[in-house]
Amino acid sequence: MIIRKWSAVALSALFAALMTGFLSTSAVADQSESETEEGPPPRVELVLDVSGSMRERDMSGGQSRIAAAQQSFNEVIDAVPEEVHLGIRTLGAGNPGDDREVGCQDSQQLYPVGQVDRTEARTAVATLRPTTGFTPIGLALRGADEDLGEGPGTRRIVLITDGEDSCGDPDPCVVARELAASGTNLVVDTLGLTLDDAVREQLSCIAEATGGTYTAVQDTDQLTDRLNQLVRRADLPVENPTAVEGAERCEDAPQLGVGVYNDRAEFGQHRFYRVPLTAGQELRASVSVAADRPVDPDYGVLLRAVDEESQELVRGTGAGSGRTDVISTGLRYPLPETEDDEDTEDDRASRVVCLELSSSFSAPDAVERAPGLPVELTVDVVSAPDEPSDLAAFGLARGWVPLLLLTGVGLVVGLAWGLLVRLGIVMGRA
Amino acid sequence: MNRASRLAALTAAVLLAGVGPATADGEDGDTPNEAGTAFRTATVIDQDQTATAVASAGDYLYWTFPVAAGQTATAEATVTLPDAATRTGPSTWRVDVYDGLRRRQACTEGEQVGTAAENAESVTLSCTVRTVRSWAEPWSDDPLPGAYYLRVTVSELPERDLGLPIDVEVAATVADAGGSADRGGDLATPLLPVGTAGTLATGDAGAGEDGGEEEGPQPYLAALPEPEDGWSGGWWTDRWLWTAGGGVLGGLACAGGYLLARPRRSSGA
Repeated sequence: MIIRKWSAVALSALFAALMTGFLSTSAVADQSESETEEGPPPRVELVLDVSGSMRERDMSGGQSRIAAAQQSFNEVIDAVPEEVHLGIRTLGAGNPGDDREVGCQDSQQLYPVGQVDRTEARTAVATLRPTTGFTPIGLALRGADEDLGEGPGTRRIVLITDGEDSCGDPDPCVVARELAASGTNLVVDTLGLTLDDAVREQLSCIAEATGGTYTAVQDTDQLTDRLNQLVRRADLPVENPTAVEGAERCEDAPQLGVGVYNDRAEFGQHRFYRVPLTAGQELRASVSVAADRPVDPDYGVLLRAVDEESQELVRGTGAGSGRTDVISTGLRYPLPETEDDEDTEDDRASRVVCLELSSSFSAPDAVERAPGLPVELTVDVVSAPDEPSDLAAFGLARGWVPLLLLTGVGLVVGLAWGLLVRLGIVMGRA
Repeated sequence: MNRASRLAALTAAVLLAGVGPATADGEDGDTPNEAGTAFRTATVIDQDQTATAVASAGDYLYWTFPVAAGQTATAEATVTLPDAATRTGPSTWRVDVYDGLRRRQACTEGEQVGTAAENAESVTLSCTVRTVRSWAEPWSDDPLPGAYYLRVTVSELPERDLGLPIDVEVAATVADAGGSADRGGDLATPLLPVGTAGTLATGDAGAGEDGGEEEGPQPYLAALPEPEDGWSGGWWTDRWLWTAGGGVLGGLACAGGYLLARPRRSSGA
């Protein structure tokens, strides 16, 4: 009984909400204001390699790599937006000599992540000197992840290096994928100060694993512009998706409201989510599955909406071939208004739609299977459209055939009328 | 003759509706100079607006623009490649268009994929998508009004050229498809990308949860400028003129037929 009452209350609330929602649909343009409210600050950490090779003078104008990095850092510090919290970490900082053990543990925080004090930050940057250190990239990434701290808000790492990882354990690419999968929305952008093959491979792998970008840097201006661009990117007013874990079966699936979600789906795995829907509403869902590691060249994604009896309602498919970041698809499913009277509404009006996601990504055997591929799912529930009474706008005619038809019909009617009148008059006279 | 009268009908339509040509759109001077790197971070551009971005070869660059029902959108991109001396081979670039539900839309015209020779300075790509319908069955992939995403990326390049700096310029233009594309039906809301973080429902009562969602602020990502005549293209279509014209002709033909067939008593007197 109580449940019935509650659902009645909920339904009337829903109705009111729908009405207001309907009335305000034209006001879509001014919704983003709320997003600029004070949220958690976007955080960026610059991770700079200070190993011996940074001494090399191969940047434009014969500048050494470290000098170029220092100059760019200073400009970035000057340009960093007020609200962005910036930190700096070095890797290979100490002078361990040949001591690999020590050298591979060497990554220090140079400037803590926080609101930037320009003078202090510049002073810290000025102390940077190339060392005889190793290049423990994996370790530095973990350190940077800790520096950025937990919690919501954008988290980005910008890795600037001129050498590949010289410690090997942990593999930086694996570390990057782990960090990205830990649900903290971390993006790593990488900048390579050399055109070396091994460096490029490693850095692009790190970037790919976290949805970041890789850039080959050849001169100071380019480095500065790119760094500024990446810092600005952290400042975009974009909310982080809510982490959700799709289920293996529809019955166990989490129930989603309107919004953006992320998940991980392993190769060949099906993921189920549920969305409650009321009659007269339309479900809109879109999904993208990212290829964050080397995958085979042909792939696809299938998103199906099924009802509780596993009958397919509608599906969205996407397929592709070749280099890609994501493969995406979407679907919409309007639940028509029932025409039954109010008594039966409680039973029929609301319905749970299951979303079943599967992808046909495959990967060479050497590629790690865990964690799964990143999935981004968006769910929207809006009012359902009205079925059009006619395919043409307002059922109106267009073209010469209807024109001829109308003219012909007019002529026939006119002739018939004239004949009738003549007949009538003749008859009248008689 | 056919064309001429259609043109006449169209001109009349434009005059009647009091709508000028839709070329002079509200360009407020500053062109966006950043590109997004994912669907969620796509940079918003207006119709007929040009945007630029500096990026690295291998980046996936996203923009989003509005398209209303009855419009045929064309996405154009020009990629300026890095100095030929630093490149090691030809590269292939592509542009993809996705609708607001992230469904890929087929290109009906234009060079979606372009290969730049090793010494080429730039490569130009374009993709025209099907005319946007005001309504479609949920089982179809037909383009619907709302946001459209434009993605520019390199699809094939020598491994050594990855990460080199590039400049990209994109533009989204729309053309009115005319009355033949004016269809019946309307979506309740255009396909706009959702941007807010989702809320998981814990209980098993679904309907209340939904009601709560809609009371709050709009969940959509970025302020996409609404097209001039609204998302559904407005009520005007030249079908009104055709149909009205048919009515007039029918009436005239009716009168003519009557005159032909009516009794002619007055002729002799």
